[in-house]
Amino acid sequence: MDPALDRGEGLSSKRFWDWFIFPGGIWIALLFAIPLFLVLALSFGHVDDFGRGVYGFSMDNYKDVFDSTYVPVLVRSVGYALATVILCLLVGYPVAYFIARFGGKYRYVLLAALVIPFFVNYLVRTYAWVALLADQGLVNNLLVDWGLTQEPIQMINTPFAVIGGLVYGYIIFMILPLYGSIERMDPSVVEAGKDLYGSPLQTFLHVTLPATQAGILAGCVLVFLPAVGDFVSAQLLGGPDTYMVGNLIQDQFFAASNWPFGSALTVVMMLFLAVWMVFYLRRASKGEAEVL
Amino acid sequence: MAEEAIRIESVTKRFGDFVAVDDVDISIAQGEFFSLLGPSGCGKTTTLRMLAGFEVPTEGRILLEGDPVENVPPHRRNVNMVFQSYALFEHLDVENNIAFGLKRKKVAKDEIKSRVTEALELVDLSAKSGARPNELSGGQRQRVALARALVNRPRVLLLDEPLGALDLKLRRQMQIELKEIQREVGITFVYVTHDQEEALSMSDRIAVMSDGRVAQCGPPEEIYEHPTEEFVAGFIGISNLLQGRVESGNRVRIGDDCLEVPDLGDGHGEGETVQIAVRPEKVAVDEVGGEPYRVEPDMFTVEGEIESKVYLGVGNQLTLKLGDGSRLVALEQATYRMKADEQWEVGQRVTIGWHPEHCMILS
Ligand SMILES: Nc1ncnc2c1ncn2[C@@H]1O[C@H](COP(=O)(O)OP(=O)(O)OP(=O)(O)O)[C@@H](O)[C@H]1O
Ligand SMILES: [Mg+2]
Repeated sequence: MDPALDRGEGLSSKRFWDWFIFPGGIWIALLFAIPLFLVLALSFGHVDDFGRGVYGFSMDNYKDVFDSTYVPVLVRSVGYALATVILCLLVGYPVAYFIARFGGKYRYVLLAALVIPFFVNYLVRTYAWVALLADQGLVNNLLVDWGLTQEPIQMINTPFAVIGGLVYGYIIFMILPLYGSIERMDPSVVEAGKDLYGSPLQTFLHVTLPATQAGILAGCVLVFLPAVGDFVSAQLLGGPDTYMVGNLIQDQFFAASNWPFGSALTVVMMLFLAVWMVFYLRRASKGEAEVL
Repeated sequence: MAEEAIRIESVTKRFGDFVAVDDVDISIAQGEFFSLLGPSGCGKTTTLRMLAGFEVPTEGRILLEGDPVENVPPHRRNVNMVFQSYALFEHLDVENNIAFGLKRKKVAKDEIKSRVTEALELVDLSAKSGARPNELSGGQRQRVALARALVNRPRVLLLDEPLGALDLKLRRQMQIELKEIQREVGITFVYVTHDQEEALSMSDRIAVMSDGRVAQCGPPEEIYEHPTEEFVAGFIGISNLLQGRVESGNRVRIGDDCLEVPDLGDGHGEGETVQIAVRPEKVAVDEVGGEPYRVEPDMFTVEGEIESKVYLGVGNQLTLKLGDGSRLVALEQATYRMKADEQWEVGQRVTIGWHPEHCMILS
């Protein structure tokens, strides 16, 4: 028996605190669970002659998702997201390592300098990239002015621009967990690696990387999840050839007005992400992954 | 002396303006168990880290078996270190932790296997070869760290307070085991500790450090019985310090009494004030007026009274107050000769005596 229940006041105070679940619970039910359920329901429906979504019980939308028209978009999304994860890791690891090991008393200043830009809306930050990379943008203007190229280089509307935007957008989710695990690593473990005849590279591969694998895993999942569903970067920095599944979904709800198909895409996407999420949470609960 | 394993030559290490190690000279023989002993912050770890290669001396030279190594990186030095925190690789099991160094040295697979097995036996951990470090007890982790270093058969093993994290009982047990292992493998050990008992019981020689310099270096008996300065006398065990004034010959006046010491040492002129130290266990105490029981006829004696008494089980620790107000600590071992009802009372007048040759004159 719960010892709190033995005491007279325990019972009532426990009940009292239980009430606090209601405001948040209602909020989640109204604004999260119900819309989600509606999306799920609509994904089995179809569009009537006026372009309005109608509920139904067909699997047609799901068949369409895996139609040859859309599969490349799904594959591309996963590919871009993976590329983003790898770039974030390659760029983020040295940054996190440097701050954690050599930042000294400036550690928190350096971290703040990285985090603060991320308080600016993602959309706005991505527009900044448009200004940089456009044919008449800052970078191209400088290149032409300095005579490094005759013509502006096509940078925008390329996969590189989209992936660059994603990296820029989500790299902080890589750096923070990496920083956490590197900072928590006992520096003497690295010294032990060197002491035991490990060259700097061997020590990094055989000691530092495994010792920080929890942070690496967390960072990869936390970047991959939002990156694969992103639509802002492809919309602003890409073109039709770089469309990602996020753009496809957005189109179904706004431009194409095919809500049932958009819903089916959303459900597939969420299931895909849920698999990753479960994988990550299971590792985290075993203490092998960083929990943010 | 046997062949030299390590020579530290006028080594100074500065961090910015701070002098962590100050002009240290140490020579360590092959196969020796050498301890660096001193209070926190005196530069023991820094000295050890310079031997391992993690710090570069600001000045001076370090020679391993005759070769200067100041600028050789740690992974190219044939020395291994046992870290205070053990620094085990948590992602590897015990066996792979131990094999780490041999793998980096590209030793053949079957040799790695046999040497790891041997090392596991040496530290009595064969049953745990597949365990992860976080499944081991503190003592077992300590032994993995030791095996991981010893398996490489380094010329020198460096140990930074390897028993610091263990409880007292396990510590005592590991001290004996460590010493046995050292005898068995015959490798030179450089052992850092701030525990004087540990240093005295395990070492062939001890360097007592204070504020970055070596205050005294010698075998345990010499450090204990003949400390050359007040710091050493005070750091190793309890020392009673008395003020004395040198009189003619080897005579020193303490209060109203005169003490004739066998050897005053050099350079003490008449009228000079000197420090006289005497170990608590060398002080004999008898009841005034009673039959002499412990105080012997050829002892130097003074009178005093018992100020306090601490019962230790194996004996009593008495704090004695002398006529001039100074205090002495006497450690009285219980022996089979002791009368069962014998007890000291606070305030009791006592005769205090010790043999003149047990006096240490400190500069
Ligand atoms: N990297 C460093 N930068 C600045 N000062 C340092 C550095 N390493 C050590 N010191 C200083 O040098 C002095 C000696 O340090 P060291 O670690 O050698 O002491 P220690 O004798 O091992 O003490 P302890 O018994 O506490 O481990 C200390 O005052 C310490 O603050
Ligand atoms: Mg230390």
